[in-house]
Amino acid sequence: MSVEVKNVIKKFGRFMALDNVSLKVESGELVALLGPSGSGKTTLLRTIAGLEFPDNPGAAQVLFYGEDVTSIPASERKAGFAFQHYALFRHLSVFENIAFGLRVRPKATRPPETAIRSRVDKLLQLIQLEPLATRFPSQLSGGQRQRVALARALAVEPKVLLLDEPFGALDAKVRKELRRWLRQLHDEIHITTLFVTHDQEEALEVADRVAILRAGRIEQIGTPDEIYDRPASPFVYDFLGNVNLFSGRVKDGSVVIGETEFALSEKTGELDIDAVAFVRPHDIRITRATGDQKTFPARVLRSNAAGPLANLELERLDGGGSFTVQLSKEEFLLLQPKAGEQVFVALKNVRVFSEDYSI
Amino acid sequence: MLPGFHLTLGFTLFYLGLIVLIPLSAVFWKTTTLSWTDFWHTITQPMALASYRLTFGTSFLAALVNAFFGLIVTWVLVRYDFFGKKIVDALVDLPFALPTAVAGITLASLYGQNGWIGRLLVPFGIHVANSQFGIFIALTFIGLPFIVRTVQPILEDLDPELEEAAASLGANRWQVFWRVILPMLTPALLTGFALAFARALGEYGSVIFIAGNIPMKTQITPVLIMGELDMFDYARATALAVVMLVVSFVLLLVINLLQWWTNRYNTTNLA
Repeated sequence: MSVEVKNVIKKFGRFMALDNVSLKVESGELVALLGPSGSGKTTLLRTIAGLEFPDNPGAAQVLFYGEDVTSIPASERKAGFAFQHYALFRHLSVFENIAFGLRVRPKATRPPETAIRSRVDKLLQLIQLEPLATRFPSQLSGGQRQRVALARALAVEPKVLLLDEPFGALDAKVRKELRRWLRQLHDEIHITTLFVTHDQEEALEVADRVAILRAGRIEQIGTPDEIYDRPASPFVYDFLGNVNLFSGRVKDGSVVIGETEFALSEKTGELDIDAVAFVRPHDIRITRATGDQKTFPARVLRSNAAGPLANLELERLDGGGSFTVQLSKEEFLLLQPKAGEQVFVALKNVRVFSEDYSI
Repeated sequence: MLPGFHLTLGFTLFYLGLIVLIPLSAVFWKTTTLSWTDFWHTITQPMALASYRLTFGTSFLAALVNAFFGLIVTWVLVRYDFFGKKIVDALVDLPFALPTAVAGITLASLYGQNGWIGRLLVPFGIHVANSQFGIFIALTFIGLPFIVRTVQPILEDLDPELEEAAASLGANRWQVFWRVILPMLTPALLTGFALAFARALGEYGSVIFIAGNIPMKTQITPVLIMGELDMFDYARATALAVVMLVVSFVLLLVINLLQWWTNRYNTTNLA
């Protein structure tokens, strides 16, 4: 049982929004579509909702629990959709906004007024906005509006819930609250949900699985742990957090940066090629003495210790460019690096990508 | 908030006083030269009563019809792209720009017994010239731009996501229009209606050529007022004008209140 998209191609003019995309979301799953702007994530969501249609209707398919809905319009698809800017009906009260989907049903399937009332009341309770039922949308805060939009989408008991950048227009604090609330809500009602975001932190925190899109293709899909720990491409690696690039040479399961050899986590075989090594700022350690660790020398350019983590900018002494390092506050206070000072740098969790392989 | 409230309010009052209030109060002042019985007799004479009914009735009907067809014109201009759209858009303003007498003469010759259109209607027993229907046509002509130009910007700014949201909730196209689009346009539609209605009430030039000005039948109040003026009976003319003024003001006030009520959801100050 799943919501499934197969081989969807969608172009806007000459712009390729979706380049043969296939995706399967299991029943009850919460999946994030993550990618930079223009990567096609919103188009994919809208295609599932029936607000866009594939350019290749013969080959492309959208399936809701096995039922082919590819050519069925949005109004008959039963997909709940929440827009980034909420798209609430501003001439209707909160209550009537939520009741809208029930009121527009044909007479035969429309629930009686009492049933509509009790269903809307239940949803108001779920979004914790019961006292505001008679307000108009213009009298609500952004976070409240988004919750009303969600309740409105849920009122019609959709087969799948689709959220387009649900927290995109909110300030940082409300955003964090609301995404935790969304996760809790999903754990309560278990509706198959897809949401679009360009915020990797949001995707990794909320979703069961994350699909990373780039230029109309799904670059990688997996659990947050999988994609963070084993990114399939430099793009994914880069997109999921800060990263330092070190040009070096791969040789027999290790990478040589400058004159120092660092072990790679997986064997490479008999390769001997130039490559770029990727290292996260928090996977770099700094020491004053070389000791028996494998290190290379660098100079401290500047440091910023505001907040729980200290960020340092360092420069390789062999002219290989600068990179950033993240230390915990304790490490930073223990070491007290000064600008201009020379230190030794050790790397761990070094990853190398090239056209033909990734390690 | 920018400073200058007192200065601009002072200017507003001065300007409104000079341009609107002083001339209007002169009308009231002139009327007071009549005795109460003369005044009452003037404004309740059968010819006057018939002209009020005609003026307010046809103006209201014309504004109503314009609200309906104007909305369709606006819809076409905003929602579709077609060849010559800019020209159609410019055509809408023509009734604004055309001297009303020109419009009147044109309509009279078109709809007259031997006119291009009139000739075709006569066999069906429809006489436009020298009839109330002719007045209605003239008032509809001059009122159209008010509806189109007030509704157009609102329809252009209407977020397409609203329609998509309604559709994803299961609404069919008719329901999307009736339950989402129309309520959003209603305040603007009412404003346009009020403007077209007010314009029609005061219309003179285009009507006199097509109406025939038959007392009790096709004589609008402004024509009646002109008749009094021709006889140099200024006091009686202003007495009729006062009736027009007061009734127009009350009607416009009611429309404005209605407009405010349909737009009440746009208030944000309710915490």
